[in-house]
Amino acid sequence: MPSFLDALSYEFVRNALMAGVIASVLCGVVGTFVVVKRLAFLSDGLSHAAFGGMGICYFLGIDPLLGAVALSLAAAVGLGSVNSETVRSYDTFIGVLWAVGMAVGIVFLYLAPGYAPNLMTYLFGNILLVSQRDIVLILVFAVVVLGILGLFFQGIVAVAFDEVFARVQGVRVRLLMTLLLTMIALTVVVLIQVVGIILVVALLTIPPVVALMLFKDLRGVMISSVLVGVGITLGGLMLSFYYDLPSGPAIILLGAALLAVVFAAKKLTGEAPRLLPMFRRR
Amino acid sequence: MTEPLLQVRGLTFGYGRELVLDHVDLDINPRDFLAVIGPNGGGKTTLIKAILGLLRPWSGEVISRIPRGQMGYVPQFSTFDRSFPLRVRDVVLMGRLGRRGLLRRYTREDRDDVERILERLKLLDVARSHVAEVSGGQLQRVLIARALAGDPAILFLDEPTASIDAESREVLREILEELNQRIPVVVVTHDVTSISPMVQRIACINRRLFYHGPELDQDVLEEVYGCPVELVAHGVPHRVLHHHH
Repeated sequence: MPSFLDALSYEFVRNALMAGVIASVLCGVVGTFVVVKRLAFLSDGLSHAAFGGMGICYFLGIDPLLGAVALSLAAAVGLGSVNSETVRSYDTFIGVLWAVGMAVGIVFLYLAPGYAPNLMTYLFGNILLVSQRDIVLILVFAVVVLGILGLFFQGIVAVAFDEVFARVQGVRVRLLMTLLLTMIALTVVVLIQVVGIILVVALLTIPPVVALMLFKDLRGVMISSVLVGVGITLGGLMLSFYYDLPSGPAIILLGAALLAVVFAAKKLTGEAPRLLPMFRRR
Repeated sequence: MTEPLLQVRGLTFGYGRELVLDHVDLDINPRDFLAVIGPNGGGKTTLIKAILGLLRPWSGEVISRIPRGQMGYVPQFSTFDRSFPLRVRDVVLMGRLGRRGLLRRYTREDRDDVERILERLKLLDVARSHVAEVSGGQLQRVLIARALAGDPAILFLDEPTASIDAESREVLREILEELNQRIPVVVVTHDVTSISPMVQRIACINRRLFYHGPELDQDVLEEVYGCPVELVAHGVPHRVLHHHH
């Protein structure tokens, strides 16, 4: 049986590893906000809105990534400017955005002259097909997103935690909330084309949930979330290599297994699960 | 004579089409200890939120000499999500945010001040606990500590005694008394008796501000609540003495 180290001599395996690690680091940090603010649906909705932008750009003969980024940024800014007093929840907006984005994308693809590529590959990218150019691209985006989050970190955390109190203190709530949504949008849109929407949603949610069960403070959660993401990515790729499994699903199922184990362990010791955002506190 | 620190003039506000505050006038002076009382739905919390700038009034204005970000606010129900991964100390530290620019980080001084406040509010034992792990009374003190961390020029408390234990009540009383040496304190409450020794003025609000002075009498209360109520009623917001007509 060939060892995993031998596999590293292949460029596509090295690329997959690098892309996986970058995606895990980015998702570990951004995903923590996604999970605690319950924005998983938003992330999914933005990625489908991005599809609309891709369709338009393809029709116009521009790089589809441009359209994806532009459209999801517009969507994020739009959602950020929605007044939280008049709107109880974002989910209806996101649902509409999702459907309209897909419809726009499909219509423009249909109208585009000549050979129409299967744009679905943009949505369901494959980590084993990552190119060197892709890696540079996501590395640049990762640095930008993490840099901006780092710069405004305390403010964004305060707004995410307690918008009302932040407002009383004179913090620019709308600006910071829009900034957070924008960074989530950028993360999702750029990563989906590289590793696929399913893996992005998985990396945004599974590692932070595992981390939330293990740590009580934001720093601990973010660091461990990154480590869990990197761990399941490496482990998943190895599983994929040894057992000839599809790589994305292998990573996701490994993550799910880890989640189940940690959850069960915490349940047995009688703590933690109630701290998770998706469970209602008694 | 000192000029009022904060003046509410003709403040009118409602939710949807329903009028909640109708031309409310109120002055808050530098050393005031003001209790805001009134029936449920009478607009107590709404008035505080309007003063804090959380609600935009339909008409009227709040003229304030207090710099933005220096109003301390202790909400009735914690407005935050307790599943957020933060320790008690981190939450209190957020009270310093109003004093800093958007890009500044918490400093040594911020952290030292927070330590002192935690000690004063007897929260050092739970400083490293997750916010979801503390008791109701402790959470109330956490909220007060967070408001104090900003070194506010005025403090608003919404129902601070609603769900707290004896220890927290005692700590609260001491803190408020001490604070009132320097800054005005405004307390929204059902239960005037729990803080009555300190209260200097009472504002009764039921859409309109009915009374506004140092003493409270039965006539005023009847006017506010619309029926006779008992003044001293522990924890009971609105005890009717006589039969309604």
